[in-house]
Amino acid sequence: MSKYLDQSILVIHELLKSKKIKPIDLVLEAYERIEENKDLNLFITLNKEEALKEAKLLEDMEVDNLLFGIPIALKDNIVTKDLKTTCASLMLANFMPIYDASVVLKLKKRHMIVIGKTNMDEFAMGSSSRTSYFGAPHNPWNIEKVTGGSSGGSAGVVAARIVPFALGSDTGGSIRQPASYCGIVGMKPTYGRVSRYGLVAFASSLDQIGPMTRNVYENALLLNAIVGMDSKDLTSVSLEKEDFTRFIGEDICGMKIGVPKYFMSDIVSIEIKEKMENVFSLLKEAGCIVEYIDISYIEQAARLYQVIAMGEASSNLARFDGIRYGYSCKDPKDIDDLYYRSREEGFGEEVKRRIMVGSYLLSGENAKKYYDKAMSVRSDIRTSFLDAFKKYDLLVGPTTVSCACDIAEDMSDPLKGFMDDVLVIPVNMAGLPGLSLPIGFSKEDMPIGMHIMANDFDEATIYKLASFIEEKLALDLCPRGGNYHE
Amino acid sequence: MNNKLSREEVLHVAELAKVRIKEDELEKYQIDLGKIFNDIAKIDDVSGYDDAIIISPFHEDARLRDDEEVEEVLVSDILKNVPCHSGNYIEVPVVINE
Repeated sequence: MSKYLDQSILVIHELLKSKKIKPIDLVLEAYERIEENKDLNLFITLNKEEALKEAKLLEDMEVDNLLFGIPIALKDNIVTKDLKTTCASLMLANFMPIYDASVVLKLKKRHMIVIGKTNMDEFAMGSSSRTSYFGAPHNPWNIEKVTGGSSGGSAGVVAARIVPFALGSDTGGSIRQPASYCGIVGMKPTYGRVSRYGLVAFASSLDQIGPMTRNVYENALLLNAIVGMDSKDLTSVSLEKEDFTRFIGEDICGMKIGVPKYFMSDIVSIEIKEKMENVFSLLKEAGCIVEYIDISYIEQAARLYQVIAMGEASSNLARFDGIRYGYSCKDPKDIDDLYYRSREEGFGEEVKRRIMVGSYLLSGENAKKYYDKAMSVRSDIRTSFLDAFKKYDLLVGPTTVSCACDIAEDMSDPLKGFMDDVLVIPVNMAGLPGLSLPIGFSKEDMPIGMHIMANDFDEATIYKLASFIEEKLALDLCPRGGNYHE
Repeated sequence: MNNKLSREEVLHVAELAKVRIKEDELEKYQIDLGKIFNDIAKIDDVSGYDDAIIISPFHEDARLRDDEEVEEVLVSDILKNVPCHSGNYIEVPVVINE
């Protein structure tokens, strides 16, 4: 088997440019790897026929950018024209989108090749990808462990070195948490940085699409490709074009780094805290100032998230009524029977529970009592973060409180999933950018991630620090016996 | 709020969500929703915050697209995903009683 996909993106680019390899070599290699890693259940739908066709077409074209001809996998809640988009739900098991999401058009403009749609939690609701209608994806580092979620399939395909790039979406940590569990780099950009047009909405004031990659540089490169104001998403923000790789490799001496005390409290496992302490020492040695700080209401963020995310989800998922698209129950007696039964049969348990909670929270007086209050406290969390960034360049902490759990672990506690995301949710509440970077392994050999957070639209500074740590640690991040990189 | 919701409370919440709950699922929802609502109720204890609310992290003035006719999607394409249709019309069960 060829091993082009183990090379850095710069090497692959040179090989393509010099015509030593063709895009179809990369596509065929990606599908070979998919076959070899079938046991991980990382994909819901493959796009093999179209991907091969596209690769053929590219052979006569000029290799004009670093992403040209490179295979990419997309989370299955990002709509792709004429390629099934299921959101890992029976509700959309046969849904064939009639347009491409704006991010997909941007990738196609760079001639990236979409090889398939990745497994995930149903409608992105979960933190282990076990709520998928298509069964849970498995962690490439240990098949008995979860990938995390909800972008578990995207994290897994990058970790297993099937493709160098994937896109995920992050509403309450759904890029960063699985990135941490799978030992890859995952970025949730600032809210508004990337168009949400064509992302199946979960919680509209929190959702954001972002890159999931093998390393920091490639992450910045993919972010370069997907950002930008979009007239089809009124929450996308118009900004000067920038190169997110521009600070990579620069000296970090003098950087001021804050550590929210909550992120290093007793809720975090000792071995993760130890790994963080190692990184703090590294940063201090490099001339950074590292100080503990307080962020107001941060410990309430997961609770507020439940109110806001479930409220918005109940509204967004009201569109699934069995009439215009999606699952429709057989032989409905009347219109109510059609609504109720299609939703009962088409949605999984977690989704139904969240819609029910959200509908209740938005009904009557509850909207003021819960939703408005959550939005007020959310505003204070954001203000507190912004105040911190007046003094500090970046904030850091662990991405998760523990490492990936067993797939067989009990899922009956409805609050457990939110607790898994307790360190990543505050960033969504504040709308800020955050990245998870691998910083080591647990005693069980499962990856541990570090969370780097920045001020609005300051992703470039995150990449600067992340690239420094990545270079210093120089971890071997190939799982499954490193079968592709010997 | 009690630790466990009553059957009636669960059925009310399901009605709001337009979701039907099977008899054998009721008990589980009584427990699960009770746990979630109990946890959420703790935000009542949060105080000292500013009353300003955040709708979206960034305020952008409404933007209008150029006033040009564009063909976004074709009816024939839309109908491909419609579970039940007749010609260019989406079919639904009768909604008006005679």
